[in-house]
Amino acid sequence: MEFGIGAYAVLATTIFGIGALGFVVRRNFLVQLMSVELMLNAVNLLFIAFNRIYVEQHGGQSFAFVVIAVAAAEAALGLAIAIAYHRIHRSVETDLADRLRH
Amino acid sequence: MTALFALAPLVLLLVGGLLIMLVDAFAKERVEVSALVSTLLGASFVVAAGSLLADPNPSGLPAEITRYLAVDATGYFTDVVLTVAALIATLAAGSYLREHELERPEIYLLLLLSTFGAMVLARAADLIVLFIGLETMSLAVYGMIAMRRNNARSIEAATKYFLLGSFAAAIFLFGAALLYGATGGTSIAAIRDAIRGGHAEPALVMLGLVFTLAGFAFKVAAAPFHGWAPDAYEGAMIPVTGFMSVVVKAAAFASLLRVFTGVFGDPLLMHPTTGWPTLVAALALLSMLVGNLGALGQKNIKRILAFSGIAHAGYVLVGFASLHAVPEDATAAILYYFLAYAGGTGLALASLVAFGSKGLEAVDVDDLVGLGKRHPLLALPMAIAMLSLLGIPPTAGFFAKLFLFQAAAQAGGIFAWLALAGVALSVVSGFYYLRIVVALYASEPAEGAVVARPMRSGYVLLAMVFGSALVVKLGVMPGLYLDLALEAGRGLFH
Repeated sequence: MEFGIGAYAVLATTIFGIGALGFVVRRNFLVQLMSVELMLNAVNLLFIAFNRIYVEQHGGQSFAFVVIAVAAAEAALGLAIAIAYHRIHRSVETDLADRLRH
Repeated sequence: MTALFALAPLVLLLVGGLLIMLVDAFAKERVEVSALVSTLLGASFVVAAGSLLADPNPSGLPAEITRYLAVDATGYFTDVVLTVAALIATLAAGSYLREHELERPEIYLLLLLSTFGAMVLARAADLIVLFIGLETMSLAVYGMIAMRRNNARSIEAATKYFLLGSFAAAIFLFGAALLYGATGGTSIAAIRDAIRGGHAEPALVMLGLVFTLAGFAFKVAAAPFHGWAPDAYEGAMIPVTGFMSVVVKAAAFASLLRVFTGVFGDPLLMHPTTGWPTLVAALALLSMLVGNLGALGQKNIKRILAFSGIAHAGYVLVGFASLHAVPEDATAAILYYFLAYAGGTGLALASLVAFGSKGLEAVDVDDLVGLGKRHPLLALPMAIAMLSLLGIPPTAGFFAKLFLFQAAAQAGGIFAWLALAGVALSVVSGFYYLRIVVALYASEPAEGAVVARPMRSGYVLLAMVFGSALVVKLGVMPGLYLDLALEAGRGLFH
């Protein structure tokens, strides 16, 4: 059975939505980080699916590679901040961060 | 080779930054990294300003470069703005970190590389390069905020900014993916041509526009995407706050300018009632309201400047909303505004650094009480900065606002009303800007109150002299700089 590009676009948008929802609803640093990664991977899927329309060039695939590399750097930095956060709060629940503005 | 020379402001920062990293790693004695980094930023500033005056639109560059990075007058102008702001922040950091015993060479290098990312972002002619520049800039800023890793406030600020920043980057990317799907291009020129040629699916283009705009609005802290700004600005060290509030904002705005005049410059998309100008006008009005009203109740000076930054993002967006009617004037006004805002905010935060010393830091407005009487000369730059941000002549801020609101008035219709709202809310902003000036000069500290004691350090004084000169010069002879901004803006429309 052959799936069209539209099906991939719908799938990617759904995954993106799940990631965005997870980011907004959950209050755990690591889960929020994973939600963002989910969103980025949904974007990658979208880029690669769209690249099937424009096969003569590889703009979408190149973009996906760049996103993968940058997402890795972002995750490394995010985990470092998560460790610093955990050392202070002994937890990664982001609700505990409420010292500012008080 | 010519391309390397044409991009000298960027190449200098990148190569210099990598070299300083090596020198610092292998040197036997402690290296004065702050001095090296300021020198490098100064050199980059001189080269960018020189290129802007001598040969702003170099020709004969290979297409492999210009397809990805724009080499034009607009690019040199934004280079000047970004290096000025970064230089002020570096000099302020040189004093601040030593005084508070936080000195670490990494922070200067992060600052340098973040500036490089900002310059790439401001020049990006391709969405892939734009994304790389955006992330190079942002990741370094997250690191700079988290540098005080035992400080709960800093880590809280870093956490909030990092999580929301990556979320916004993902939103922007989703928009970029939709634009790619609609047009098959990743470069601004290719997407523009596809849209103009009518080959693009309008629904995808509109969605792409909304998502990319939301991503940018987050980076420039425009309402309703501003929630992170006050906390992130307050939790960061003062020089880092200065860097974030100017460099990140100006670079994101410059990139927004390129994308929206390029990709979405189509007359149909730019239609004043059915196109994006209405959308941007709504963001502008909301930002001016949230920023100016939010700042009124604040005591912490960094939070006041955060809300002031939201309000100024609103003023700049007024210029964006007028781009459809008077493209050249509005672009020049926006570019001029960057310079004025960089001078004003940079100067305010440098002054805040100079006002404090270890254990006696200036944090709230109350800490400044009477400082102008004890140290009249030292307090003067802060007063100049506040007057400029408020927009009182003869300072930079007056002409910056004048040019912007003039452009909006020329656009007419709802945009003229927007300009009127901007003027009215600028009057409101007088309450919180002048409160600081009054605290400095007119009030007496309460008996036995703890007041901030100014530090003695050369770096920050240099930053204050530099910033004051810029703000006053932009206010005394605005014509010279406006001509440069006009010339720089024209590059976007040829």
